[in-house]
Amino acid sequence: MTRTTPFRALICALAVSTALPAMAQNTITGDSVGPADAKQTLTFRMTTDGPRNNEPALAEGYGKLFNEFVARHPGWKIELQMMSGDIGQEQARMLEQSKSGNAPDCAAVDSFVLPLFKKAGVLSSFSPYFKKEEIDQLFPFIRDGVTGTDGKIYAWWWSTDLRVLYRNKAIIPDAPQTWDETKKAALASVDQGMEGILFNGSRYEGTTFDWLANFWGQGGKLVDDAGKPIFGEGEDRAKFVKAVNYYRDLVESGAAPKRVATIGNYDDFNAAAAAGTTALFVGGNWQMSQLKTTLEPEDLANWTFSPLPGPTKDQRSTGTGGWTVASFAKDPAKVEMCANLAREIYMGPANELQQQLPTRADLYDKYPVFSTPENKAFAEALKVGQARPGAPVYPEISNQIQIMMGKVLTGSQPTDAAVDEAFKASLDAFKRL
Amino acid sequence: MPPASAITALPNAAAPARARQKPRVAPWLLPLILVLGLFYLYPVFDVFRLALTRATLLGDEGGYTFATLAQTLSRPEIPGILGVTATFTLASVFSQQLLGLFIALVVVRGEKRRLFGTTIVRTTALIAWVVPGIAGGIIWKMLFNEAPFGGLNSLLRLMGASPVQWLSDPNLVMWSVVVSNVWRGTAFSMVVMYAALKAIDPVLYEAASVDGATARQRLFHVTLPQLRSAILVNMILITIQTLNTFDAIISLTGGGPGRSTEVLSLYTFNVVFRNYDLASGAVLSILMLIISLGLALIYAAFLPKGEER
Repeated sequence: MTRTTPFRALICALAVSTALPAMAQNTITGDSVGPADAKQTLTFRMTTDGPRNNEPALAEGYGKLFNEFVARHPGWKIELQMMSGDIGQEQARMLEQSKSGNAPDCAAVDSFVLPLFKKAGVLSSFSPYFKKEEIDQLFPFIRDGVTGTDGKIYAWWWSTDLRVLYRNKAIIPDAPQTWDETKKAALASVDQGMEGILFNGSRYEGTTFDWLANFWGQGGKLVDDAGKPIFGEGEDRAKFVKAVNYYRDLVESGAAPKRVATIGNYDDFNAAAAAGTTALFVGGNWQMSQLKTTLEPEDLANWTFSPLPGPTKDQRSTGTGGWTVASFAKDPAKVEMCANLAREIYMGPANELQQQLPTRADLYDKYPVFSTPENKAFAEALKVGQARPGAPVYPEISNQIQIMMGKVLTGSQPTDAAVDEAFKASLDAFKRL
Repeated sequence: MPPASAITALPNAAAPARARQKPRVAPWLLPLILVLGLFYLYPVFDVFRLALTRATLLGDEGGYTFATLAQTLSRPEIPGILGVTATFTLASVFSQQLLGLFIALVVVRGEKRRLFGTTIVRTTALIAWVVPGIAGGIIWKMLFNEAPFGGLNSLLRLMGASPVQWLSDPNLVMWSVVVSNVWRGTAFSMVVMYAALKAIDPVLYEAASVDGATARQRLFHVTLPQLRSAILVNMILITIQTLNTFDAIISLTGGGPGRSTEVLSLYTFNVVFRNYDLASGAVLSILMLIISLGLALIYAAFLPKGEER
């Protein structure tokens, strides 16, 4: 051992001992952020998009953002409440709590239930706290989503996502553009020992949402302007049946395995890609970064994505979702603090941290991370993006589509009968609501 | 230490005084009545009240009406849901009862013969029981996964057999769900049967042996009649438990494909938490209560009465 070695060890130890507390300072382990004796408290119910993220680096990044935010707002502390993984149930519970006055001051609200929250009148307006220029920068479908019938905005939609077609280039070199090309490509992959194309087909919101692009691409409409279901009538019915038959044909021809009727989780696609049993699946844009951590670099190099195919090359669409931040508080100071939290933590910084697609056009230029070819391609695909209809009956329509899809994919009911049954049930639900 | 005469005299002296006093039970029962009323009876009352409204999570209750009751019970999917529930409950209850009794008999027999491993058998069965329903569903989902790398199908392939569509075949999926539920619930029946078997007077078996009864005759003429009460009480408990099961199903199939495995409890959950329909959810909860009570009363009718015991 040389003389310098103990010295280097001492330096390293010192460096580690100073770096660790610095990291620990950003990591939030307790239930609140900010001084315990702060006069004002904001309760914030969040998903894993926050300091409790499962990825340590992301948890650390969010911890830094939250600590800096509280430092900029003296006299405040934030009480963190975590949602469980059952988002549907969590959102319903918040709605119930808001009715009895026990809702959190500020919360993450799934964009697909935002219309229900707006209709229930439980959200406080963010309009006084966001400038018109900021609101104008939002993509049109996002702006429509957060705006109430009175023209005020009731949430800040900070991230969006979309569905694309992932493929293994080594097996499927060219991106399928149409339904027919997709079927041929999937059958070709089956010939090479793969399972064929995978997609969500079980009792799961993703089943409806991923498939709806095939209906929307033809110009189909689920509900009319009054929010009444119309997908089972006239031209819309024909388009609906055609899109259902596309999926049915994929299964019956062997281009997709029968097990798609049991898939209700995007992680199953990552698992199949990692196991090398599929070369084609309908997934979300966020899965690209998951594949990067799941696959070996040489395998990852084979994977790419393209826009979802349509019946023709020109009839394309994709479902767009995402998360919003909204306030249930009645105290204007708390509503303003919630709006500040949405702006200062989520509108940009969180997008950059998690590489979740921003909802404002200008943020794609502001953050270099969104200038990568992948993210530019996702942003391009957003141009044909469509959000789920802002109608209170949508959750029941989605439920009925999931039931219908199970019957169709397993061949237990003819498509027309299953579609008519789903439509009638949706209409009945509309009358009840 | 007081003299013995004092000890015996004290109760005798106090007895007439106590007899003169009226017993005051209210202060002792009041806390229990309050707790029961607040945490048990009020929610039940509220469910009945909600069933007579049009309450949703999105709007007001809109006055009282019988319409919700009629509309909910006449929904076209209800007969199918009740059919699925009946199949799931009957298959689960009888399988759990038979399997629980079988394991308990094996364990008791093993203990009598001082065989190694009886504790391991009991503990292994209990492990499945303590696994939360959601976790149990996820475990079985991995086993039933129909992907080439799925648990059971991988084993079948290794043995040269064809893979099975455990969850995507509408005719098979219910039995897959029943298997996962029986796996979890058998331990409870085993514990009840084990305790009841241990309580049987050994003299009965000795008398049967003296009379030259075979093992089969001992089972049917001594063991099962002695277990009658325990079996019926166990059936009441596991029937109610099975009727309320939805966590294992929601994580295994979500009720699908279609409505193949959507039992009444899961349907009620979906109506309230997916469709935000509180009033219909309340009606369905009352329906579940009536079914559970009805089945419990039927079982109870077979329980031995007073002198029969």
